Amino acid sequence: MDEKPTPQRAAGRTATAVLVFTLCCLASSARLFMHATTPASDDVAQRSDQRFAAVKAALPATGVLGYLGESGNTGTADYYLAQYALAPLIVEHSLNHPFVIGNFPTAKPASFPPNLQLITDFGNGLLLLRNRSRDKDAK
Amino acid sequence: MVLVLPAVLCLATGYLIVALASPVLCRHFADWLLRLSLSVGFGVGGFSLVCFLSRVCGFDHLFLADLIVLAMVTVAWLCLRRRIAAADVQKTPDRDKLSPPWFHRVITASFVTVLLAALYATIRRAIAHPHGDGWDAFAIWNLHARFLFRGGSHWRDGFSALLPWSHPDYPPLLPAGIAHFWTYLGHENQLVPAALGVVFAFSTVALLISALLSLRGSTAAMLGGLTLLSTPFFVEQSAAQYADVPLSFYFLAAIALLAIYDWSSAEARNLGWLVLAGLAAGFAACTKNEGVLFALSIIFARLLAVLRRDRGWRSLLVLAISLAPALLLMIWFKHSIAPPSELFADQSALHKLAIPARYWITLKWYGKDFLRFGEWAYIPGTLLLAGLHFAAGTIAKREQKPEGGFLILALLLTLAGYFVIYLITPYDLYWHLRFSLNRLFLQLWPSAIFLFFLADPIHVTNAESVC
Repeated sequence: MDEKPTPQRAAGRTATAVLVFTLCCLASSARLFMHATTPASDDVAQRSDQRFAAVKAALPATGVLGYLGESGNTGTADYYLAQYALAPLIVEHSLNHPFVIGNFPTAKPASFPPNLQLITDFGNGLLLLRNRSRDKDAK
Repeated sequence: MVLVLPAVLCLATGYLIVALASPVLCRHFADWLLRLSLSVGFGVGGFSLVCFLSRVCGFDHLFLADLIVLAMVTVAWLCLRRRIAAADVQKTPDRDKLSPPWFHRVITASFVTVLLAALYATIRRAIAHPHGDGWDAFAIWNLHARFLFRGGSHWRDGFSALLPWSHPDYPPLLPAGIAHFWTYLGHENQLVPAALGVVFAFSTVALLISALLSLRGSTAAMLGGLTLLSTPFFVEQSAAQYADVPLSFYFLAAIALLAIYDWSSAEARNLGWLVLAGLAAGFAACTKNEGVLFALSIIFARLLAVLRRDRGWRSLLVLAISLAPALLLMIWFKHSIAPPSELFADQSALHKLAIPARYWITLKWYGKDFLRFGEWAYIPGTLLLAGLHFAAGTIAKREQKPEGGFLILALLLTLAGYFVIYLITPYDLYWHLRFSLNRLFLQLWPSAIFLFFLADPIHVTNAESVC
């Protein structure tokens, strides 16, 4: 037989439910507090603005550049960070441009595609290359 | 110190826009908090659009543009303030005064504890990740901000089809807001995007609390704030410098303002709330593509409600008109500046709609993420709310208004829209779901919490009382 709860019992049940809910919220919040990230070195700035400072100074402010870099997930991040540093230049992940940025943070390749000629080695795996097959576009 | 001037201008503009359209609510603290939180979002939204339109027009004097906008809003406010002040105030039920004092003390202490913990965790994360926590911060939002700030007359290069991975079709509200502050500084400072993220997050919390306080009393407000602040993913994302938390603010603003309008008695209803709701939905559309979907969902859900009741056409019209400028701006942006979205460029999109396996995979992920969303400790927040509903909601006296259904419908339509996007996505479906669904849920989470406590006000007493 269904029994309708009295207002006191109903209020007690609601209060209990709210307190359990609050405890769970506090537990979640405690974990957030304990796992608060420790300040570390600024990886993004190191891999973008600081790393590309010399390259940026040597290039025009706007225009489009090609890009040649390492493969894999880290290579993709390196490319995005190159674009982030060199904006408002457009850095397209392609060799179809008169000038191409080479970005090799771990190891410089032994050779490049034959149409690419090294113009400047900025050190630290950063290169400026010229695409000889697009020379007429450069002019 | 240089940041103080743009911050004051931004907040003043936002405050005047809010004051221009809204009457005063009966609870003083709730009214003050509601205005403050809305002012932040509306101020940043207005600031961003001023910057973006200045770039479009080639107008370089942003300070002058800000002053003109501020002067226009001030004049409008001075002219209309008598009409605004004459608007009737809202009556809200308040049963919390009849709750036992210990109950209030426990809830309040818990709320203050999680607020401090969230503040601490957010600031630590913002310091630890000055360029944002995750690729989207530097690959999309801050990159676009750099193009807008550094690019001069070449700012459109940031929305070039040569950079498809940076989502050049994404709306420019957040990047333009960052670029606006940088212009005042005269240089880039990572404090700006980091501070904007934190400010949006805590404005969302303040908006949630103040709206619930106005409509449902302090217990619902505290519990709503407690739920949002205890969601680790929300706190983490607030320092990530992504656009999902700002978007969640605008979603909540639109939903809460519509609720305030609908919950007001017939004689106290002020169309100004609808104007602000429309503006908030418009700002959402200018923040992320999902905002366009949300804005259309709001209009469609409202239209269904109006058709069902055969009244409310004027309110629908006001909502649509106040939303229209932002939507038109986004249509122009998509047509004239941004390249076509990769989501709709795929020729096989329609064919994908006919593959049942994609429905099943997406549905499974929706179910999984519903349970694990938010990265809660021990018990997911969604389950906690469901538990609270069944344990306490059956006892709490329901004060549902029929209009509430359309707000829930608007969120469900938005969720359904996300579902369709997954069905036709050109990316690997698993990859896309894995890296975005939890953020899409996050966008709707503050609004869902608001609607939960709006529909299910938790009281430990059934006694009647009025404001």
